[in-house]
Amino acid sequence: MAFIGKQPGKAAITSTDITDGIITAAKLASDSVTTAKIADNGVTTAKINADAVTDAKIADDVVGSEHLTAGEVDTTALGADAVTAAKIADNAISEEHLDATVVTGLTALAAEPADTDEFLISDAGTLKRIDYSYIKGGGITMADQWRFTANTDNSSGSLGFDITSNLEQVDTAPQGTIGSAMSESSGIFTFPTTGFYFVKFNIQWQMNGDGDVRQGGGEMNWTTNNSSYSTIVDAYNGCNNHGLNYYSGAEMNAIVDITDTANQKVKFRAYNSASNATCMGSSSANHTYMTFIRLGDT
Amino acid sequence: MNKQEWLNLALAKLHPGQWFGWRKEDDNGNKIPNNERMTYENIIVHDSTLTKPTEDEVNAKIQELKDKQTAFENKQSSGKQKLKDLGLDDDEIQALMGA
Repeated sequence: MAFIGKQPGKAAITSTDITDGIITAAKLASDSVTTAKIADNGVTTAKINADAVTDAKIADDVVGSEHLTAGEVDTTALGADAVTAAKIADNAISEEHLDATVVTGLTALAAEPADTDEFLISDAGTLKRIDYSYIKGGGITMADQWRFTANTDNSSGSLGFDITSNLEQVDTAPQGTIGSAMSESSGIFTFPTTGFYFVKFNIQWQMNGDGDVRQGGGEMNWTTNNSSYSTIVDAYNGCNNHGLNYYSGAEMNAIVDITDTANQKVKFRAYNSASNATCMGSSSANHTYMTFIRLGDT
Repeated sequence: MNKQEWLNLALAKLHPGQWFGWRKEDDNGNKIPNNERMTYENIIVHDSTLTKPTEDEVNAKIQELKDKQTAFENKQSSGKQKLKDLGLDDDEIQALMGA
């Protein structure tokens, strides 16, 4: 710069020598603005590019829940097994959040549950556990059927006979039984467990034409001391006896409360009023037969 | 009645009481099918005072029963006819005879 006279001394340029707003970005060297040149709280959101703040620029443990928009945290932001039980609110898991594999994915018991095995139950809206012993017994757990297998005539002059042999559990397809079987010895039946039982006795007679049969039927004889028996159920039917093709049948049943399997037993008697009839038995079909169904606990 | 039913009945008429039964297993322990149990070969004698009847004895008893049944039916027919000859109608005869 040219001048006349004494050359003025050099003086530093101060901020007052610079007109406000004249230093452009081009006058700044790259990387020349240091942190110290930025006023506290001077960087506003508008000065940050979209996606410019990387994960590394966020200090540990500084993002509080107030910085998250409602509904913004999606499943990809959660690590596997990241949600612990403590992070689930009480009563928050409803049926829509349960998958069928909650049941199907578990190991099957494959047997009747023990009495103390537990089930989940809603007790008027409150979830509770309940032992199997309280809910079992809804279905039939035992049904058994036996039959007399061979035709039998009375001894002459007698009015019937106790069925003491020729008894078999039914086994003609598709006959079947459920659960524990009755045990039988010399015609005396013992129950497998205590409980209420429905016991039915069907008997069938075939006539031989020698005279009418006034009474053809049977009796259920029970003991409560494994010794003396008494008849608590009987049924009879009469039949005009016009030959071998005349039949008479009777059916009887009882509901009994078996509390002592060692002493409470039953046997069956074929009864008719004359010796000219044959109590029918078969090993292929039921003619004279006994049915036992356990109804429930004693 | 079928063959098994005649056999079953004839055995009952041979002796009173539960003196016989049927084998359920063969000599090898195999279960005999239900429809094959009630045959002469599978008769079991429970009563030790009795012996198994011969097949001829059983067949003779079966024939005796069949003859008895035939004779009975013949008597029924002849009796009905005699009643008709006396002037009874079928309803009256059935009321008397039950058949």
